[in-house]
Amino acid sequence: MNVLPWVIITPLFGAFSMPVISLLGGKFRGHWAVIVSGLTLGIAAKVFYTIWKSNEILVYTLGDTNPIGNGVKFPIRIIWEVDLFGALLALTVTFVSFLAILYSLEYMKHDTGLDKYYALTLVLELGMIGIVITGDIFNFYVFLEIMSIASYALVAFRNDTWEGIEAGVKYMFVGSLASSFILLGIALLYGQYGTLTMAYLAMKIAENPTLISKVALAFLVGGLLFKSGAVPVHMWLSDAHPAAPSSISAMLSGLVIKAGGVYAIARIIFGIFNPGLHSYLKAFDMPALNLNTLGWIIIFFACLTLVIGNAMAVVQNDMKRLFAFSSVGQIGYILLGFGIGIVAYGDKIGEIALTGAVYHIVNHAVIKGLLFFIAGAVIHQVGTKNLNELSGLARRMPFTTLSFIIGAAAIIGLPPLNGFASKWLIYESSAMYNPILAVIAVIGTVFSLAAYTRVLFTFLGVESEKVKMVKEPGNAMIVPMLVLVIIILVMGILSWQISDKIMLPTAKMLEQLNGEYIMALLKFIGGG
Amino acid sequence: MRPQNSDMGLIVKTMARATIPLIGIFGAYVIVHGHITPGGGFQGGATIAGAGVLFLVAFGLSEAKEKINKNFYSVLEGIGGLVFLTAGMLGLGVVFFYNVLWHKGPVFNGEAGTLLSAGYLPIMNLAVGLKVYTGLVSALFAIALFRRWKK
Repeated sequence: MNVLPWVIITPLFGAFSMPVISLLGGKFRGHWAVIVSGLTLGIAAKVFYTIWKSNEILVYTLGDTNPIGNGVKFPIRIIWEVDLFGALLALTVTFVSFLAILYSLEYMKHDTGLDKYYALTLVLELGMIGIVITGDIFNFYVFLEIMSIASYALVAFRNDTWEGIEAGVKYMFVGSLASSFILLGIALLYGQYGTLTMAYLAMKIAENPTLISKVALAFLVGGLLFKSGAVPVHMWLSDAHPAAPSSISAMLSGLVIKAGGVYAIARIIFGIFNPGLHSYLKAFDMPALNLNTLGWIIIFFACLTLVIGNAMAVVQNDMKRLFAFSSVGQIGYILLGFGIGIVAYGDKIGEIALTGAVYHIVNHAVIKGLLFFIAGAVIHQVGTKNLNELSGLARRMPFTTLSFIIGAAAIIGLPPLNGFASKWLIYESSAMYNPILAVIAVIGTVFSLAAYTRVLFTFLGVESEKVKMVKEPGNAMIVPMLVLVIIILVMGILSWQISDKIMLPTAKMLEQLNGEYIMALLKFIGGG
Repeated sequence: MRPQNSDMGLIVKTMARATIPLIGIFGAYVIVHGHITPGGGFQGGATIAGAGVLFLVAFGLSEAKEKINKNFYSVLEGIGGLVFLTAGMLGLGVVFFYNVLWHKGPVFNGEAGTLLSAGYLPIMNLAVGLKVYTGLVSALFAIALFRRWKK
C-alpha cells in the first residue's frame, strides 16, 4: 500500500482528535502532539527514501486510480505529484516541526489554551506538507491558506501583550493580500486553459502562451514573494516572527517562508512555466514566453533582499527581530540561486545554482530552527530578548551559548559547518554567471557576520544584573537544540557527499531537462 | 446603561422562540440534501449556527452559557473533523478519498439523485455540518465572552 496519504492523514487526525485527547488531562495534549508529529516524520522519511531510491516522480490520484476522467482525455481529478524536491522539503518540514513540538512541551508549559496551540501547530505542519506534495494548483492554494491561517493565529497566540496581536493582524492583512494575488493568478490560468493540474497546465501553456499566462505568472510570483518575505514586502515578517512563541518562530522562519514562498515559486516556474520548454519552443520559432526576464526580476529582488535583510539585522536590539531580519537575508540567497537557475537554465552554472538554493533551504531550516530555539531558551530563562540586558550570558548558560556559536558560524557560512557548502555553491554559480552578483552576495554575508558577532559579544561580555541567577533550561528544550547542533555538525562534515548524493539529484529533478514532471502525468493519458 | 448580559425583551424573545426551530430544521434539510440539491454541510451548518447566534443575541449571554457547554462544543467539532477524515479513509484500500461506499456499498449506493446515494458524501456533509455549526457557535461565543470594554 502506498504510504503517501498517511503523511496528510496523520497530522490531520492528530489535530482533529486534540479536543478529545485534552479531555483526558492537560499533560496528554503535548505528548499526543509529539507522538503524532514523530509518526509524520517517520512517514515523510519513508516517502523521501522511496523517491530517492527510485529517482522517479510519484503521482498519486485522489478519489480514483487514474487522474483521467471517464470518456475524456484530460486529467480531472486532484493529483499529488511528489518529486525529490517536494519529498526533501516534506522531510525537512516534518523534522523541524517535530523538534519544535518537542521543544514546546517545556517552553509553552505556562500558557493556557494549549489544546488549540497543538492543534494549530499540527495544522500548520499539515499545510506545509500539503503544499510540497501537491500537483494540483488549486489544491496548492487550499493548503497554502490552511498554512497561512494557522500561522496568523499562532503569531497572535500569546495575546496577553499587544505585540503579538499587532503582529498577527498585520501578518493577516499582508498575507490575505498575497493570497488574493495568488488566487487571482490561479483564476486567470483556469479561465484561460480550463485545467488546474499543474503538469497538464504546463502543456497547455506551452501550446498557447498567451498574455493572460504572463499576467497570471506575475500575480503568482508577486504573491509568493510577499509570502516569502522578499525585501520591499518584508515588513510583516520582521514583526510576525519575533512576536510568535519561539517554537513557532522556528517553524515560521525555518519552514513557512520556504514551503509557502520559495518552494512554491520554484515549483510554479520549473513545473508550470518551464524555462527549458519555452526556450525549446523559441528555437522552432513558435510563440513562447521569455523567462529570462523573470529570472532577472527574481535576481534583482534577491540582491535587494540579501543586502537589506542582512543590513537591517545589524542594527536590531531585539534578538528575535535580529534573527527574523537574518531570515529575510537568507531568503535572498535562496532566491538568488533560483534566479540564476532560471537565467542559466540547462547550463552547468544553472545546475550548481539550483543545487545551492535547494541545499540552502534545508540548511537554513535547520540553522534558523536552532537559533530561534536558543532565543526561546533565553526568553524562557531570563525573561527578556533585549540584547542590551543580556550581557554575559555565557557563564550561566554555557550550552546555549555554545549552540549559538555553532548556529551563528553555520549561518554565516564558516567552512566546517553546513551553511558553508550551500553558500559556496551559490557564490560559485553567481561568480561564474556574473561576478557583480557574487560581490553583492558577499556583501550580504559581511553584514550577516557583523550582526551575529554583535550577539556573540553580548553573550560573552561582562555579566549584567539580569543574568546573575540564570540557569540552563530543562531537558525538553535542551534536547531539540542538541539534535540540531549534531545535525549541523554532521551535515557540515559530510557536506559535499550530501550535495552529490541528495541535493544534486534534487536540483536535476526540479530542473527536469526532459520534462519529467509532465511525462509523469502523460503516462496516464497514454495508457488511459 | 443597561446591564451587560441583558436579553432583548419580550417581542424578540417570542419571535426567537418561534423561529429558532424553523431555522434549525431548514439547516438540517440543507445538510441532509447536500449531495442532491444546492448547498451542503457548510451552508447548512452555517444556517444552524445562525439559530445559535439568534439564541445568543435574543436571550443574552448568561442564559446561553447555561444551555451551551463550550468544551462539549469543542469536542463535537473535533468529532466532526474525525468523521470527515474517516469517511475519506474508507476507501484507503484503493486510494485516499476513493468513494468505496458508492462503488461497492452496502449503504448510500442507491440510484443517483435519491437521498441514499452518493456514497460518502452524505456522511461528509453531516460531519462538515456538525463541525461548522459547533465551530461558528464557539467562535461567536468567544467573541461575546472576551469583550473587554470599561464599565
